[in-house]
This record gives sequence, C-alpha cells and structure tokens, in this order.
Amino acid sequence: MNETKPQVALAVRNLNFYYGQNHALHDISIDFPARKVTAMIGPSGCGKSTLLRIFNRMYDLYPGQRATGEVIFDGRNILETGLDLNILRARIGMVFQKPTPFPMSIYDNIAFGVRLHERLNKADMDVRVQDVLTRVALWNEVRDRLNAPAAGLSGGQQQRLCIARSIATRPEVLLLDEPTSALDPISTARIEELLDELKEEFTIAIVTHNMQQAARCADQVAFFYMGRLIEVDAADRIFTNPKQQQTQDYITGRFG
Amino acid sequence: MTLAPARQPEKVSVSEHTEKRSNADTAFQAVVGGCSLLVLIVLGGLVVLMGVGGQDAFKTFGLGFAFRDVWNPVSNEYGAWAPLFGTIISTLIGVLIATPLAFGTAFWLTAIAPPKISAIVGTAVQLLAAVPSIIFGMWGFFTIVPFMARHVQPFMMHHFRHVPGINMLIHGAPFGTGLMTAGLVLAMMIAPFMTAVMRDVFSAMPGMLRESAYGLGATRWDVMWKVVVPWSRSGMIGAIVLGMGRALGETMAVTFVIGNVTAVGWSLFAPRSTVASLIALQFPESPAGSLRLSSLLALGFILMLLSFASLSLARMLRGDSK
Repeated sequence: MNETKPQVALAVRNLNFYYGQNHALHDISIDFPARKVTAMIGPSGCGKSTLLRIFNRMYDLYPGQRATGEVIFDGRNILETGLDLNILRARIGMVFQKPTPFPMSIYDNIAFGVRLHERLNKADMDVRVQDVLTRVALWNEVRDRLNAPAAGLSGGQQQRLCIARSIATRPEVLLLDEPTSALDPISTARIEELLDELKEEFTIAIVTHNMQQAARCADQVAFFYMGRLIEVDAADRIFTNPKQQQTQDYITGRFG
Repeated sequence: MTLAPARQPEKVSVSEHTEKRSNADTAFQAVVGGCSLLVLIVLGGLVVLMGVGGQDAFKTFGLGFAFRDVWNPVSNEYGAWAPLFGTIISTLIGVLIATPLAFGTAFWLTAIAPPKISAIVGTAVQLLAAVPSIIFGMWGFFTIVPFMARHVQPFMMHHFRHVPGINMLIHGAPFGTGLMTAGLVLAMMIAPFMTAVMRDVFSAMPGMLRESAYGLGATRWDVMWKVVVPWSRSGMIGAIVLGMGRALGETMAVTFVIGNVTAVGWSLFAPRSTVASLIALQFPESPAGSLRLSSLLALGFILMLLSFASLSLARMLRGDSK
C-alpha cells in the first residue's frame, strides 16, 4: 500500500437516510481512513450523529428509519439485509454523549460485552479487563474496587469505563458521539489524550460540537450542514484554509 | 439608623399586602397539613375498629385464632386458617402467573413493538386494568369455571393422578371452582395493572443505556436480562407488590369462582374460600355482638396485617437494590 494513500476503514458512497418521511442525509460520500481520527462537525441537527448511528446500524432498533446507498466495511456493504448485526456491533463500537455504565460492577461492565462474543476462562477475562482498563488509564484508580458498582465512579471515570467496555470486544472502529459533552474540562482533556493513543489501533469517528476538540484530536474533519456533507479535508487545512464559504462561516463562529 | 418619617405610610401598605399573603400561605399550609393528618387518622381508625371488633374472637380462641382450621357457625367455633390459606395461595398463584405475563407485555410494548401498535395495545392494557372486578368475576364464572371443570382438571387427573406430590394438588371432584381458578382470574385482573406500571418503569430507562448494550452486540434477550431487569428492579418489585396488594384484598371476582367452602387442603382444584370472600358472604348474616361477627372483624384485622407485611417486604427488597 502506498504511504500517501492510507487504507480506508469505512467507505461511504451515495448514502441517504430517512426518518420516516424526513430525508435527513443527502447523498453522502466520504472515506474514513484506517487508524486515523475523523471528526464530524456542524450545527445541531445537521446529520452528523445520524451518520454515526448508521455505521453500527443502531437505527435498526427504530422502525421507520432507513438508509440507502453503501457503507463498505471490510469489503462488505453493511447496509445489506441479512448482515449479522451483533457481530457488526462487536467490530464497530460506540460511546455515547453521556456515560452509560450498566447497573453492575466495574468488572462486569467490561466483561458484559466480551461474554457476548467470546468464551474466556476467568484468568483470561481478568487479563482482558486489566488490559482495557489500563489502556483507558483507569486501572490504577479502580483496581481495588473492581467489584463495586460502576455507578459509583465519577462522570469522567464512567466515560473512560465506557470506552474500555467498547474496546474490550476488540473492534476495528470506534464511534464516539460527543463523548465529552457531559464532562468537565479535566476529564475532557484526559479523554482527548486517550484518543491519541487509541488511534494507533482503532479507526475513530468522533462527533463533536467543540471546534477546538476537533482541531486538537482529528486528522480529518468533515463539516456537515442540513444533512449534506459540505466539506471534508485534513484537519489543519479545514481550519486554516477551508474551500467552502459555509465552512469558513461555521468555524469562525458566524453561525451555528 | 434613622428612617425618614415621610416614607412610613407607603411601607405600611406594602407590609399589609405581605401580611395578607402570608396569612393565605398559613391557611394553605393548614389545609394541606390537615389532609395529610386525615390519612393517619383513617389508617389508625381502621386498625382500631378491626382490632377492637375482633377482640372477642382473639379472647375466645387466643392468638392461635390465625392458625385454627375450623370455621363452624353451628358449633360457634372459628379460626382464620382456612380463608387465610386460601387468600395466600390464590394470591401467590395469581402473582406467579401475572408477573411473567406483565413483564413480557411491558418489555414488548417498550422495546420491540412498532410505536403505533404499541400505542394501541398500551391503551388496551389500560382499559383492561380499568375493568371493574365484578366483570372479571362473572367472566370467570361463565368461562373459566366450566373450562376448568370440563378440561383442565380431568386432563390433570388423567395424567398426574398417580404422580406423588402432584396428585395431592389436583384431587377432588371437578367442580371447576377453587384456588387455581381464583388464581387465574386474579392473574387476568392484576396483569394489566402490573403491565401498565412496568411499562412506565421501562420507558423511564434512558434510551442511551439500552443502545449502549445493543451497541456492544447484545441481543434483545441479553439486553432484557442483563441491563433492563437490573436497572428497573426496584420499579418492578413495586409493580409486583401493587398487584399483590390488589389480589390479597380482591373480593367480588374471587367470590364468584372460589367455591366458598371453608376447608383446608393442598388440592388447588377443590372449592375453598379466602378472607375477603368469607367476610363478604357471611357479614350480612352475622348478628351484631356475635362471636361470628367478631371473628370476621378479626379476619379483617389479619388481612390488613398481611397487606402491611407485603408492603414492608417490598420496602426491604427495594432497599437491597440501592
């Protein structure tokens, strides 16, 4: 593979999405380079979260929502019917706007996802739990209370736990839907640091309202407006020299 | 710190207004406080009435009244065990059948059904919950009782008559009335009510939490058992106890289908009685001041204790989950 042409983890082609009659995404085509961070920015309701929820077929839970077009992941269109969604969701993990610890212990929060897909003995599970908690820099904070309820952790810790939970099933892609919007600045900074390390192993797609966050974390930035992809480019170029006037207006704070 | 005299009149009018408002506030507090006090008075009054009225029975038969298994107006001998046993067993059967039914319906309504169908079925559930119990009683009498007499009990007798343990649960002539029938009718009555409560509990769960579980590749089954159930545990216990409370005190529907025989035995298909049905049937024919009337009031007292006990059990179970 040529070094200047990075491998593509997710290739979106002519994607349209509908909430019932409402046409929410118009003809989106975009590549998500492997092991890079792609940030999706744009005003509320522009469709960026909708796009994220297509990648793990979360919209399937809701009748009346449908997508047309193609999203190629590992050589296969994931919009196809008959795809095993449980396997897809193990390979494409998701973290939400607010921490969502399950009502169980810290240990079981991690083990929950793993047990769905693998049969590990206790020792291997222990190793897995320690490994992912170490990678999200949570191990030293929780090693003495793995059996305590996850609800007792702070918000920032809970969100790191949720990230650990997602990477525990060894996905290839991580979807982050405004993962720091409910966190304080220090917790936010820790998550951003974490993204830098995680991208060595995972392809990351992050939706954010925070332009600085996109600038700090992303390799590639996509600007959405009213269900359309306006512009996608390398992060340094889009913030210094956007090609579209709308992008320019948004990043300089003229609207949104 | 001297105040300009010229400002005084205006100040007075402001404080007068404030004073009126604060008087109204005091009155309001007294009214709502009175309402709450009334709750305590009524509750205390009920306990005293039942307790004092049942005094004669407790004096005559001792505290063992609760566990005496005779109820014989001819020999003037009374004991609570037969109806108490009937109440407890029919309630347990009702709750055991209604709980999975309500849980399944509520989960389907909130997590699986398309919104339009969910709205229709949800409304139907609420309508069913609002059906007066006497309707269930008549339905049970005309539908369930003959069905049990003609099909269920003969079927059970035919297949399980010689199975030790089960045979004692099913023996007796097939009248169709009894604890099993009462339990079934109670289940049909309390299931819609429990469904409505559980549905509210499930829909109070943040959608994001559910999506997080699906997002890890969990099936609906996993999500239900490992996330929804633990999360809504205390709410579900609340729903079960509310249903149980209704079943414990249900009078009319049960009276129609229980057979009203004050006997004790393990057979679920023989005519029995419950505390509420016995009181309803025998109250009008018990003369004032008689031991029989006192025994009925004592039964009422025990029934209240039973309800309080189930409520505190729920409190305890809920406390554990927090």
